[in-house]
Amino acid sequence: MATAIQATKLVRRFEEVEAVRGVSLEVEEGEIFGFLGPNGAGKSTTVRMLTTLLEPTSGTGSVLGHDVVQEAATVRGLIGVALQEAGLDPKQTGRELLTLQARLYGLRGAVLAEQIHEVTELVGLSDAIDRRIKGYSGGMKRRLDLASALLHRPRVLFLDEPTTGLDPTSRTLIWDRVRELRQRYQTTVFLTTQYLEEADQLADQVAIIDRGQIVRQGTPAALKAEVGADVIDVAVDDRECGAARVTILEMQERGELPAGELRGTASGYTLFVPDGPSNVAVLLRGLDRAGITTGPISVSRPTLDDVFLAATGGRMASRAAEESSPDGGDQRRDRDGDGDRPGATTGAGTGAGTGTGRGSA
Amino acid sequence: MTAATAPAPAGERTLATPSGFASDVLALTTRSIRALLREPESFIPALAIPLFFFVVQIGALGKIAGPAFGIKNYAAFQLPVAVLFASANTAGGNSLVLDIDGGYWDKLSLTPVRRPAMVIGTLLGEMFSVVSYSVLLTLLGLAMGVRYAGGELGGALGLLALTVLFGVGFASVSVAVALATGSVRATQTTFVIFFPLLFLTPGTLPRSLMQGWFKAAVSVNPITYVLEAGRAFIQETGVAFNVATVSKGFIAALAFCALTFSLTALAFRRRARMG
Repeated sequence: MATAIQATKLVRRFEEVEAVRGVSLEVEEGEIFGFLGPNGAGKSTTVRMLTTLLEPTSGTGSVLGHDVVQEAATVRGLIGVALQEAGLDPKQTGRELLTLQARLYGLRGAVLAEQIHEVTELVGLSDAIDRRIKGYSGGMKRRLDLASALLHRPRVLFLDEPTTGLDPTSRTLIWDRVRELRQRYQTTVFLTTQYLEEADQLADQVAIIDRGQIVRQGTPAALKAEVGADVIDVAVDDRECGAARVTILEMQERGELPAGELRGTASGYTLFVPDGPSNVAVLLRGLDRAGITTGPISVSRPTLDDVFLAATGGRMASRAAEESSPDGGDQRRDRDGDGDRPGATTGAGTGAGTGTGRGSA
Repeated sequence: MTAATAPAPAGERTLATPSGFASDVLALTTRSIRALLREPESFIPALAIPLFFFVVQIGALGKIAGPAFGIKNYAAFQLPVAVLFASANTAGGNSLVLDIDGGYWDKLSLTPVRRPAMVIGTLLGEMFSVVSYSVLLTLLGLAMGVRYAGGELGGALGLLALTVLFGVGFASVSVAVALATGSVRATQTTFVIFFPLLFLTPGTLPRSLMQGWFKAAVSVNPITYVLEAGRAFIQETGVAFNVATVSKGFIAALAFCALTFSLTALAFRRRARMG
């Protein structure tokens, strides 16, 4: 498999703020790559650099072997991008917007008509496609934006927080479409998200970014395995007699169960061991042989949040909150630069400020 | 990427093909014009304000213009003012700055579109407004008994050409501000340059009757020559229809455009560089 996306020591500075501080990553063709991090971590800035919208302060990026700065035009023909804040012209209808977009990709005639039909169906917007975008809901805009990113059948698709703020139904729809695209066209997908579950559900590979730097990278399973053990909770009858405890310790001594911390709980024991699902069977057989009756049992795995915790010493949610607290000036500029909120929600007044912030960046 | 790798079923290419500069410009111009037509509420005031001034000026000075300024037909004298006023009253960079502010500019930038087409499409949309205003005002003039010099059609087309140059030149100032700042407010305030450019002219009375600093200021304003050439295309304005006057007007309009287009190009580079 060839490399679809490569970033080498990407840095982007906005005046005094370094939004991205040396990001290196590699995405294989056909892979769904999850770029996970809290708000303001530098996800959008990285995407803007990899999609030719923003020149890196230093470092390089390439898509399918084409440099994002030197060969920007080639890269643009290969990628499809749905940015976080879907910038859609409200005065056009969905179909007009898609048609314009398709023409700029050089599509015409029957191919143009087919593609518009296909992507519209794919995102489930056929009914609304001839209405003005002004009247679309947030979820519809997001789906239209995704449709427009797919018109030219891109080989690499960048989705910047595609489901942030969406209702669960729309979120599931987007997830299904992403999987479908990969299956149908072997599209490589670079997806940023602040949802651990999303990265876990969709991504083959995950990179976790915090404060402009990648802190962990690997498959979700490997990353969670790095954290260490799975968690087996087992309830036993007659816990007070201690037979279960003895049995488990003996099994560990004999090597039937891997070594791992054992803790008593109110109704039984918690065992921290790698590879919980296969060891739970071993544990149950051992307890059964010893004549111990077991109650409810559960195996849980560490979450990506545990990975984030291990890597950064903070939970993702609290890190995001921390990022958007006091220290207004810097933070505001940082967010502007990050392209997270390109002033779309503001009126003329604050729009002027936002624009100037980006203008001088 | 290597020949040894099994080809991906999707193929090595996307459906994207080079679309050509003209095709890009056409697609984007169509969108600009469509947006203008869908917003008559911004279209109509741009015409109403110049019309108001036109009527008020004629009302105030129409009767004394003959004896005081030696102008036979003051409506004819005022018509080019109204036309230039209207053509400077287009939305200019407003639609562009809204695209930048709302993120649609980024969306278009992600396509392989030729970058300059994004600005040219906007300017051609503006040109559409300028032409519409001019045609409407020209028809109004005809209805009021204004007659064109050099044959009705020739004079009208001459005035139209001059107006389009001036209007597009003027619009590109705010396009430049939109590109340079990305700020909605800054772009809207570009309108203030309109005042020195359009009021330091022989708008009310002929240059020959002016004196002192005002005459000096009017004489260095390029729009003065555009306006005088505009009057040359119309009969009974006191400005003779001759090669010198007309060519001065076109040279002034072209110089004005050269300046404002350069500003736009600089601003465009700046935005392209930073994304």
